[in-house]
Amino acid sequence: MGQQIESALRQSIHRIVLVLASFLPGVLAFLFALVVFLLIGWGLSALVRQILTALRFDERLASRESPGSPVLVADWSSSNSPTLVASRITFWICVLAGVAVGISAFDASYSVDSQYSIFLLPYFAHLTGAILILIAGSLLARFLARSVLIGAVNAQLQYARFLSLGVKWLVLVLTAAMALDHLNIGGGVVELAFGILFGGIVLTLSLAIGLGSRDLVSRSIEKSFDKATDRPTPPTEIRPLTESDPPPRPRLRHF
Amino acid sequence: MASTPLTDAASPDLQPVPAPVTHPVAELAICLPAFSAEALPSALEAITTAFPGESVLIASSVLPPTPTDWPTLELVPYTSPRSDLNWVLTASDYAAAARLAADHNTRAVLILGDPESPLDAPMLRRLADGIRGTSVDLILPRFSLGPTNALVNTALLYPLSRALFGADIRFPLPVDAAISARMAQRLLPSTQRLVSLNQGSTILWPVAEAAIAGYSVREISAGDALPPTPPSEDFNTLFSSVAGSLFADIDAKATFWQRARNLPLRPPAPTEPAPLDPLEATPDVLSMIESFHLAQNNLQEIWSLVLPPQSRLALKKLSQLAPDAFTMEPDLWARIVYDFTLAFHLRTLNRNHLLGAMTPLYLAWAASYLRSVADRPDRAAHAIERNATAFESEKSYIVSRWRWPDRFNP
Repeated sequence: MGQQIESALRQSIHRIVLVLASFLPGVLAFLFALVVFLLIGWGLSALVRQILTALRFDERLASRESPGSPVLVADWSSSNSPTLVASRITFWICVLAGVAVGISAFDASYSVDSQYSIFLLPYFAHLTGAILILIAGSLLARFLARSVLIGAVNAQLQYARFLSLGVKWLVLVLTAAMALDHLNIGGGVVELAFGILFGGIVLTLSLAIGLGSRDLVSRSIEKSFDKATDRPTPPTEIRPLTESDPPPRPRLRHF
Repeated sequence: MASTPLTDAASPDLQPVPAPVTHPVAELAICLPAFSAEALPSALEAITTAFPGESVLIASSVLPPTPTDWPTLELVPYTSPRSDLNWVLTASDYAAAARLAADHNTRAVLILGDPESPLDAPMLRRLADGIRGTSVDLILPRFSLGPTNALVNTALLYPLSRALFGADIRFPLPVDAAISARMAQRLLPSTQRLVSLNQGSTILWPVAEAAIAGYSVREISAGDALPPTPPSEDFNTLFSSVAGSLFADIDAKATFWQRARNLPLRPPAPTEPAPLDPLEATPDVLSMIESFHLAQNNLQEIWSLVLPPQSRLALKKLSQLAPDAFTMEPDLWARIVYDFTLAFHLRTLNRNHLLGAMTPLYLAWAASYLRSVADRPDRAAHAIERNATAFESEKSYIVSRWRWPDRFNP
């Protein structure tokens, strides 16, 4: 009995050591490929930066922009010059390529089960796509939230922050659902949950705005009803101005 | 070996070189880019009255049915497309005027962009004579407006032009202008480029252009005339487009205004009016203050990206004041404008967001200004001068922040 247990343990340890021994070269190959591509990316990004600086890329781009244009492409690269953005994009493309090559090298050196690579490579692509969706979604959410907040404040809406938060979370929820769907996580559960959550947010917003502006709506309906029935309004009595009356207020002109 | 001439006049195969198109030479040209067929005859009548017996070249988008009624005027079609933003002069207007001046070798060009108000013959004469008789290169009309008019001009356009470009021109965003031949020549390449890029509606700042070139600028009184009202666009969009254009121009000309230079001598500032009792805030002012309070509660996150802590603290104190004591000091307003100009330059956040976040602060300034002037012209003149002086004295603030923007960041 004891010998059998000892034998079983020894065999399992042996199997684990074998797995680790075959796994480590793959990990080292992955890391090596990643480091090499990091270095290549660093060199390429420096080269791109130098070339674009020599070509005065930023100045050329700026000179093509109209001084009065309200929206410029460069607005999206906050506090970064287009040259820096281009060099960073080059660097990150190299990093992504390094990860892909690393996984492939991992597969080549890992002979125990080649199914890992078949599973990992497409999943890595999906993961990258999901991360990109999340980044784009969060950027869009922030942009839209700010747009709504500023627009609502300038329109003197008291619930400006609430509107802004609503828009932000709508976009974030949508983004999260899209990312999970992209990763094939959750399946129908995510879709269902998203539908319920999204519908809930929309219903909440509708109720909030509807209840908040109930008086406004009723006044508007009353006004349209008055117009439809063409009810005669009592004539306003015009009284001559006296000296004690305050002078008419001057009209404001901003421009 | 004899060389073969590239062109041979005797050769029968060669087509004769077409002679360059010759345009009639005129001393004065007037551009009427926006006048309709109904408004044109009275405008031509005013021009004939202003320049009796003088040959004047008129460029108009429409031609009168009977041009012979005005024998001294030579009418040519105005080809440059008029932009939608037709309440001030834009790049396409200056491009057309500059092209006209170059083609006809004129000494002065008047650009009259407001078709609504009738032309004033004596003013036309003064505009033209100012360019032809002196060495002035740009003349703009100066309107006599009430204290509650042209608030954006008082808050931003005039003080910034004066502080950064040393030009004491009360209305630097003109609807009418007179330019000399060399000013037209200077404007030609840049405006033509904008028109060719289909950006003719870009607002141009001629006062800054003249300051950069070292040209002299003058203003003449427009009498009782009023500037045209902007199109029925909402205020926020209009404010963003004008302020954004001005900030972009300041950004483009940073190397000029950062150099220290002596400010021109100015007439003595108007005497400080006697203090008034606490004034009751009008509904307009109350609405502006309310807009500022709303922004103070909601836009802190965005303002913190642009404004240094001391400005935000001052705004917090301002938001706690009662409407009857609501006063934004001119130096605070000047620093706020400079901070937003810097954020525009650095692209700290999306420029539309930036300008949108500035609107409530402008409304706070407007509320404070309206409350302090109390609709009295003497108080308005003093407040305008105080505001412009604050921008001049705070110029070192923007110069240092422009050079070392991170120094003030929290």
